[in-house]
Amino acid sequence: MAGDALLTVRNLHTHFHVGDTVARAVSGVSFEVRKNEVLGIVGESGSGKSVTALSLIRLIPDPPGRIAQGEVLFGGRDILKLSYEEVGKIRGRDIAMIFQEPMTSLNPVFKIGKQLTEPLLFHYDITRAEARERAAAALDLVGIPDPRRRLDEYPHQFSGGMRQRVMIAMAMICDPAILIADEPTTALDVTIQAQILELMLKVQEKREDASVILITHDLAVIAETCDRAIVRYGGKIQEAAPVAELCETPLHPYTKGLLASIPHAQEKGHRLNAIAGNVPSIFDLPLGCKFSTRCKDVLDRCHTEEPELREVTPGHWVRCFLMEDLV
Amino acid sequence: MATPAADTKSSVDPATGSTREKSLSVMQRRWRKFKSLRRGWYSFIALIALYALSLLNPLLINSRALVVSYQGDLYFPAAAEWVGGRLYEAKEFGQRAIGEAEYRRLAEQYEEADEGDWVLMPPYPFHPNENLLREPGLAGNPPHPPQARHWLGTDDRGRDVFARLAYGFRVSITFALVTVSMYYLIGMFVGSVLGFFGGRVDIFGQRLVEIWAAIPFLYTVIIISNLLKPGVWLLAFVLAIFSWVGISFYMRGEFYREKAKDYAAAAIAQGESRRSIMFRHILPNSLTPVITFAPFAVVGSITALVSLDFLGFGLQAPTASWGELVNQGKQNIEHWHLVTFPLAALFVTLQLVVFIGEAVREAFDPKVFSRLR
Repeated sequence: MAGDALLTVRNLHTHFHVGDTVARAVSGVSFEVRKNEVLGIVGESGSGKSVTALSLIRLIPDPPGRIAQGEVLFGGRDILKLSYEEVGKIRGRDIAMIFQEPMTSLNPVFKIGKQLTEPLLFHYDITRAEARERAAAALDLVGIPDPRRRLDEYPHQFSGGMRQRVMIAMAMICDPAILIADEPTTALDVTIQAQILELMLKVQEKREDASVILITHDLAVIAETCDRAIVRYGGKIQEAAPVAELCETPLHPYTKGLLASIPHAQEKGHRLNAIAGNVPSIFDLPLGCKFSTRCKDVLDRCHTEEPELREVTPGHWVRCFLMEDLV
Repeated sequence: MATPAADTKSSVDPATGSTREKSLSVMQRRWRKFKSLRRGWYSFIALIALYALSLLNPLLINSRALVVSYQGDLYFPAAAEWVGGRLYEAKEFGQRAIGEAEYRRLAEQYEEADEGDWVLMPPYPFHPNENLLREPGLAGNPPHPPQARHWLGTDDRGRDVFARLAYGFRVSITFALVTVSMYYLIGMFVGSVLGFFGGRVDIFGQRLVEIWAAIPFLYTVIIISNLLKPGVWLLAFVLAIFSWVGISFYMRGEFYREKAKDYAAAAIAQGESRRSIMFRHILPNSLTPVITFAPFAVVGSITALVSLDFLGFGLQAPTASWGELVNQGKQNIEHWHLVTFPLAALFVTLQLVVFIGEAVREAFDPKVFSRLR
């Protein structure tokens, strides 16, 4: 994977220690985020997609979580090796994050204006008045009417969708190079999901080389918004490809299953397609291919050996024995 | 049900005449709710007013005169005592006595002489530590029952009970406030650190806290009391360093809960320092249990001082204290005024604080209705 990478993740392992057992939420993940792209990470609950995102800016609660090994290279430095203070300078300013739950991700005792100006005052040498101006502009950008007055209101005076807009404004206020959005629309009404996704992409209007990492379990969201997508299963990358290619010619059986399970309006009256079986427990992952327990085209060797992630066509990577013939 | 108006406060801007909506924080709304709970709010006002009055005790209840006008000069003995100035001797005011001037006699003396000198006494002209056996109307052995000049009678050393109760009130409340603030500071700090950092800090910190909590308070106080003859401040400090453990548990629990919330993660993701996240973000959100508990902590401290004084390990004689008065009541059980008044004063004060505590608890209760349908 070459190209002008903004952020490179190499062989990232994040483990959670629960009692005597170790949950390998992320085991050996490598990918890169290029300049000016929207990268989607898709997977079921428990596939480690959120943990991957949190690991990028070291937000893993420790204990029980621990980033066991790997590198996250940003601007020539390994984020995982920096001190708390040094990471603090990157957080918010270069890499910002939007959380899943808008209802709890704003501090209930602070006014919106204070929350918004905080990262500005922390990262830049500007006055409170200037910070306030920029905060009002940021609220305006995310479509909150009468922003100046609303700066003096508390989170409980905002609705869920409005709070998520505030979160987006807060994440974008320092014009970050990378915006990580961890299921930003999951907790919202379907009717405003599209608006929120659009707002998020505005970060690229303000800064040309900015990239967005969008984490979701919704392939439709990926198809609409992303340039490239990574499909996760069992703590590993199973397939990575440009979105158009992924949707038209999915190679991994899991991706095929996901795409097949999207309901279509024309198929009224049919049963919905689903991938048989359940996600394996994170404490008890299969020995070989992580998807072997549910795969329709499973081979004998899938249960004992794990395939490598291979580039089958340029830019299209897949982890499956069935695809080895294609190479 | 709550209306949108419950979240905002209307105020008319005098310049434009327009109505501007002001946002209220959670704390401000709780404060309004507290004010609307009459019993607690009036108890709060009554207690604050009484305490404010008691701070003026040296000017209201004192054997020293407020103003003495002698041969054209003005003197302020009560105020001088208060700010730590010198005491006036009797002969300075033309009184035939040794030592300090006796102002009640001085007033009579000036009146008889009629030379234009005068004395202005405080409204209740008796000092709590003053032996009143030579006063008119207080013949015989103390304690004396209540009478017009001595509202609540005298104690077994001929001292005025009302004056002692009033000064004791000031000591009790001051002691309670100082103790509670001190141990809240310690407990909140320890609890925040243990809860925020968790892990090994918490495991080892908690063990140290448990060891500390196992030191028996009463024995320590008895030893310290015998060695050092403690004053209010030392006693408050000793009580504080043995009382913070409970608060630290509350804070630790709250921090564990609050730090897992997304806003804490969001603050970290904004690049804020640990100190800022601990004390600016999480702390204000963790205060509910400790604030709700505060009035009851005050009750606890007042009672603790009374108990120590009652046992004789508290403040040194002749400090006016309620525990000492209650003890006198026990020893002179046949004198009803020595039993009734100190206990009644204690009861009323504690009841006021409990009413405040109830109102605070209700103001902090997120549920509007206290029972299920």
